Amino acid sequence: MRLPFERGRAQVGLTVGAAAVAVALVAGAAVPAASAYFTTYVDAQGGYTLELKEVTTIPDEDFDREYWTKHVTIKNTGEATCFVRVRAFAGSQYALTYSGDGWSEAGDGWYYYADPVAPGVSTGTLDIVIKAASEETDTSADFNVSVVYETVPVTGASTALEADWDAPLDSGSDVYINEEA
Amino acid sequence: MAKHLKTTPPSGKKRARLPLVLFVLAAVLLLTSALGSAQAALTYFSEEYDAAIALPDIGITLVENGTGVSTRDYTGSDDVWTTTHGELLANMLAEGESLELGHTYDEVLAVTNSGNIDEYVRVKVYRYWTDADGQKLTNLDPALIDLHWVNTDGAWVEDVSARTSERSIFYYTSVLGVDETTVPLTDTLTVSEALARKVTRTFEKTAEGTVVTTTYDYDGVKFVIEAEADAVQTHNAEDAITSAWGVTASIGSDGSLSLG
Repeated sequence: MRLPFERGRAQVGLTVGAAAVAVALVAGAAVPAASAYFTTYVDAQGGYTLELKEVTTIPDEDFDREYWTKHVTIKNTGEATCFVRVRAFAGSQYALTYSGDGWSEAGDGWYYYADPVAPGVSTGTLDIVIKAASEETDTSADFNVSVVYETVPVTGASTALEADWDAPLDSGSDVYINEEA
Repeated sequence: MAKHLKTTPPSGKKRARLPLVLFVLAAVLLLTSALGSAQAALTYFSEEYDAAIALPDIGITLVENGTGVSTRDYTGSDDVWTTTHGELLANMLAEGESLELGHTYDEVLAVTNSGNIDEYVRVKVYRYWTDADGQKLTNLDPALIDLHWVNTDGAWVEDVSARTSERSIFYYTSVLGVDETTVPLTDTLTVSEALARKVTRTFEKTAEGTVVTTTYDYDGVKFVIEAEADAVQTHNAEDAITSAWGVTASIGSDGSLSLG
């Protein structure tokens, strides 16, 4: 038989135990809240596919023997717009004079067609007049004038003079762009 | 014994009052107890109501060229978020316009605090190339996608230790207040014209002359920009940043954030 005193201790113990469990539950419920932080995130993406279409060009030269003049045009028969520049080489006994609407010299020996050449469009005509450099030149002898042209795609520049002509091409000899006419 | 009994028991009148006193006492205790409960209940509901209107709702919006692109704001309950998810660069080109290599396009990226608590923010930016099937091209340098960083001398600080060729992570060094927008992290985007130099040319003699055909080796590749903006609470910020972002940051007395 348990004495009232003993029964009271048991009740007190039960009460304390229940209180401890309650405190533990409350504390346990508070722990996740205390260790979690307010965070959020957001993202987005986007991009574009490069459409670098073919550039195909055809030089057209015509030599006017009456005026000793070469008439040069370059036609863009590809799908992408390009810039064009031209220069000519001749023996030292001949002097070359350039002229033509839209063409301008940049001081580096090249003549630049300022406007972008769209697909299907030709440059204006560049006239290259060949003259004897001196009276001693034998004008009846054969001579050879070579015309070289280069093209670059239109990438950011608004005129041919601003285009990036000096950057080396990085895929080896198959990308060398000079073409002797 | 009889003498003891004669002196200790209360009188009959006192015995009659005792239950009454106990009843009154019990009633007072009961009333007091009930009143206490009522007060507690009132206090409880009052606190609950206060907490509901002051619950911190964190939110963030990624902004491109002054327009919100994507948003994720907490609504305040039940793990429900208000979200929008947009696309970067969607308005970079006009209708029918093609991307021009070497051309500089506006690409102003910033972050707005669209929540109702102050926060610290960071932005992770990825740049990479994919083929037509969406497969990542690791042989193309992400640096050819020139996203121009600005305000990186103070307002934004890069975690250089986390930098890769594809990824850059920048932390905004100030607390971003509610409805505030950071200063821009970027201002322009340029895809290098060096891509156009990687070409293959063929020469063909025809009746018209020599036909030169230039084929671009990188025709058809796609460049991709990804931006992720993260926000974390300012309360207990150092621990919060470590926990949420996995980096060590120091918060100055003025609220400024520094890495390490």
